[in-house]
Amino acid sequence: MEKFLSNYDEQVTPRLKWVTETQLEQIHYASLEVLERTGIKVQHPQALALLKDAGCMVKDDLARIPGWLVEECLRLAPKRVAVANRLGERVMPLEKNRVYYGTGSDLPFTIDIETKERRTSSKRDVVEAAKVMDFLPNYDFIMSYAIASDTNPAVSDLHQFEAMTANTGKPVIFTAHNAENTEALIEMAAACVGGEDNLRKNPYIILYSEPISPLVHTLDGVGKMFKCFEYDVPVVYTPGVLAGATTPVTKAGCITLMNAEALAGVVMAQLFKKGSPIVIGGGATPMDMRTTTTLYGAPETSMNYAVMTQLAQFYGLPNFTEAGCVNAPVPDVQAGVEAAMSILMTQLEGCNLVHDVGYLEGGKTGYLPFLVICDDIIDMARYTGRGTNTSPEHLAVDCIDQVGPGGNYMGHEHTFKHFRQEIWNPRYFIRYHWEQWEAKDKKLPIDLALEKVKDILEKHQPAALPNGAAEEMQAIIKRRETECAG
Amino acid sequence: MSKYQELANAVIKGDTQQVKQITQQMLDAGEQPLAIINEGLIQGLNEVGIRFKEGEMFVPEMMMAAQAMKGGVELVKPLMAGTDMPTAGTVVIGTVKGDLHDIGKNLVIMMMESSGFNVVDLGVDVPVDKFIQAVKDHKPQVVGMSALLTTTMPVMKEVINALDKENLRSAVKVVIGGAPVSKEYADEIGADGYAGDAVVATEMCKQLLN
Repeated sequence: MEKFLSNYDEQVTPRLKWVTETQLEQIHYASLEVLERTGIKVQHPQALALLKDAGCMVKDDLARIPGWLVEECLRLAPKRVAVANRLGERVMPLEKNRVYYGTGSDLPFTIDIETKERRTSSKRDVVEAAKVMDFLPNYDFIMSYAIASDTNPAVSDLHQFEAMTANTGKPVIFTAHNAENTEALIEMAAACVGGEDNLRKNPYIILYSEPISPLVHTLDGVGKMFKCFEYDVPVVYTPGVLAGATTPVTKAGCITLMNAEALAGVVMAQLFKKGSPIVIGGGATPMDMRTTTTLYGAPETSMNYAVMTQLAQFYGLPNFTEAGCVNAPVPDVQAGVEAAMSILMTQLEGCNLVHDVGYLEGGKTGYLPFLVICDDIIDMARYTGRGTNTSPEHLAVDCIDQVGPGGNYMGHEHTFKHFRQEIWNPRYFIRYHWEQWEAKDKKLPIDLALEKVKDILEKHQPAALPNGAAEEMQAIIKRRETECAG
Repeated sequence: MSKYQELANAVIKGDTQQVKQITQQMLDAGEQPLAIINEGLIQGLNEVGIRFKEGEMFVPEMMMAAQAMKGGVELVKPLMAGTDMPTAGTVVIGTVKGDLHDIGKNLVIMMMESSGFNVVDLGVDVPVDKFIQAVKDHKPQVVGMSALLTTTMPVMKEVINALDKENLRSAVKVVIGGAPVSKEYADEIGADGYAGDAVVATEMCKQLLN
């Protein structure tokens, strides 16, 4: 009985640890050495000036950042960033080991659900993806999924944001072309929540921006980040790399370089404004040495995220990684394996923001039904991650005694009480006996997923925008369009 | 909500205590015993069957619903002297001679009982004449046979031949099951159906009796 327990250890949820504390320190110090010895290229004048004033050695656009300054800025960066949804509910606190899933942004191609042909992505694809993810329970945040290629390229980022925010209430991670469009986009977001103050209080948007590996911090990349901090909007500032091309080929070398780049971002962020909400991490993908393609669905990638997540936890900062993005061109066996393995890993590690879920062909092609399949995979991973309950009720000794030798548990109340929690149920994976499957027209999970997508697109109504918000967003896009043309 | 609907809902929830309580209240209020069964308890179980088929409810929930219904039936039964208890039908079932496996068969029995069938369980290692005698005694609509071994499968055919010889074959439907058994084998030995699992077996019996 529980009251007699002592010296009892319980691990409620399993936790994947990839390297030791000492190894983490080694990576940390190696990153500090990179920043101090090699330094970073900074193309943003204000950022460069801030680094110089703070004690960095600056020559031309190269800044060497001393270790003490990095440590100082790590202390200033918030360990916890609370993110809300469009309705003002603080649904996504980025802290400790909480895991949230979403897609990525900007797919150039989409496999059309009607024709099954691969074609250039359009704004409508952004609308449909947002709607589908708004409905699916395991997507916690939204990114644009597709590129709105059929809109004016100067403001396509604003069109993508409009398409997303009108079709989901969930938190949005956005991409933007430059600082000016970022500000316009923040204005649009504010219009959807009744003004800038509400947006500051409960931010529901996060910027995705990146340094360019190796070690380059661009005018646009830093400019967009600073613009967000002016409005207290959180920023993911993380590199996307090709190990063997833009970083060392070794996993530890790749992580060291990426970590140095992320830490440089933390330093610039905190020098710009103390307490700026910044998220570290990145896309730690190797290059395929046969085809030069980016290896998202590869074991190395997942292994790198395991270490990078531990690093973020070591710093106590929120992190951003990726899973469920596959190299398979179509949602087949390979796609399922690549997605499932990477998603389970991130779940067990406790990454905060896991993006790119449901992407095909190394993040270049989308097919909406695969998002539905990944929703089931995430569900399975989350179930696994909840661990094994060993309470007396779950040990079930009383129940075993009541049923006795030779009995059976199917009609016992204990089974009735626990089976829904103790046996996971998929929604799209198939578990029929052959005859039942035959009777159901031998449909495959991807067929069921396609039916679901069509059903969602037909019936699902996302939370409505406040009155006037749609018009205000359109006016802002129009204004920016004129500004860009002039 | 009517009292009958309330009773049906309690069955759907699998809440034996509540089923008993409502049944007793209805009896005290002078409701007809047969109406309580047909319009309350069985309505509940029918709804469970529909939800089960749609994948909304699961095996253990069906079992609990059946147990809850049983709780109500036990209160009503003594007041129904001279009236036949309504059932979905009678099934005689057993694992054939030479075969001692009964897990699958027992699951079938539980599912059938949960669906309102009256099941006569002949147990395991059941010889041909015991099946025949049971058909004579219980007058079932269905005979169910199970085998796990390829060596005992032929006994199923012997039972069907014996039913023929005794002129009982047309009075019953024969459904067979077990790991080595198939639809083709069922056709070959002249059975009426092959059921791959307990759910299919129950569904098949309902269809055969319609």
